[in-house]
Amino acid sequence: MSYVIVLEVLLAIAFTVAVICTYMVVKERDLVKAVVLSALQSIMYTLAYYLLMAPDIVLAYVAVGVGIYSVVLLFAISKTERFEEVEAR
Amino acid sequence: MRGTELIVVMCTVILIVAVTTAVIMGITAYTPGPEVRPLAKFYLENCLNLWNRAYWAASPEAVCSMLWDYRGIDTLYETTVFFLAIIGGVTVFRLIEVTPPLESLSEKIRRVLGLSVIVRTISKIVASIILIVAVAIAAHGHLTPGGGFQAGAAISVAPLMIIIALSRYFLEERKLTKERMLALRTVGLLTIWCTVIIPLIFALVGQVVYAMQNQAKPWTTFPGFPTGQLSTWIAGSLFIYNMAEFVAVGAGFTLLFLLLSLPEEVFREFMRRLTRK
Repeated sequence: MSYVIVLEVLLAIAFTVAVICTYMVVKERDLVKAVVLSALQSIMYTLAYYLLMAPDIVLAYVAVGVGIYSVVLLFAISKTERFEEVEAR
Repeated sequence: MRGTELIVVMCTVILIVAVTTAVIMGITAYTPGPEVRPLAKFYLENCLNLWNRAYWAASPEAVCSMLWDYRGIDTLYETTVFFLAIIGGVTVFRLIEVTPPLESLSEKIRRVLGLSVIVRTISKIVASIILIVAVAIAAHGHLTPGGGFQAGAAISVAPLMIIIALSRYFLEERKLTKERMLALRTVGLLTIWCTVIIPLIFALVGQVVYAMQNQAKPWTTFPGFPTGQLSTWIAGSLFIYNMAEFVAVGAGFTLLFLLLSLPEEVFREFMRRLTRK
């Protein structure tokens, strides 16, 4: 029973950090920083997959979520502006 | 403004704590535990059952057996769809016939190619390690977690790093051009399809088989793919599928990165030349 509790607490931590990262990605004006935060969110999901005993998904997710996805976004950012404009209030 | 953000963060944290507490107290039916459900039990008992080989896949890795044997057709069409997606990407870039030679680029573009010596050296070391790890993931795909797609996604990070740190010309000097990548991608997919069709050749000589059959079954007369010896266990066709998928996915992603990393100036120059004609 204690094994399940430890597992779920670790899962809760991983998902909490992931949600906080997602919120910060949305609020971040610097798009490069937003990509790094989104990679951190992917790492948290990877941890969750590992805890849920899916090592096959972990191997694919770490390469796609942290490597490929981030770099494709960075390519996109390099074609536009790095900083989001602050809208008039 | 700060106050609203604080409230949002606080609400999120409270929500997460509440949901976690509810899950721990067992409000949802399923929590990952030591118990195994019937479907999982079937696969776990049969994927490497040496005593009753009626349903076996000759692989100790249940996930790989499912992907390439029990539910093989799913993966087959999935990898074909991925191939079509790559073809779509290539079609967008169809106007670019050849990469411009390094000398023809303006000084401004050449200056931004590649990063500092430290980054270049570290990238080379890390990229070679990634290559080894990816080959290991693919070659052990039928024994340990991993497999073709995972290894292909992992290996494509190496050319990606090289493109960023050393520019795409480093790859092109080593003959990793987009035409070769497309050829490799096609060879990978063709290998997969050929392996699917091999059992059907036995049907021509009167054997009872089905497409994508891996091991012999009691109700078919197909002898099955060789499983290898204990020290070099290749799990029948699973090894072939994994290696072919590894080549296909790795080459596919590398192809996309090669196309994405073309400097924008090159396109402008090309379009200018096109409109002048």
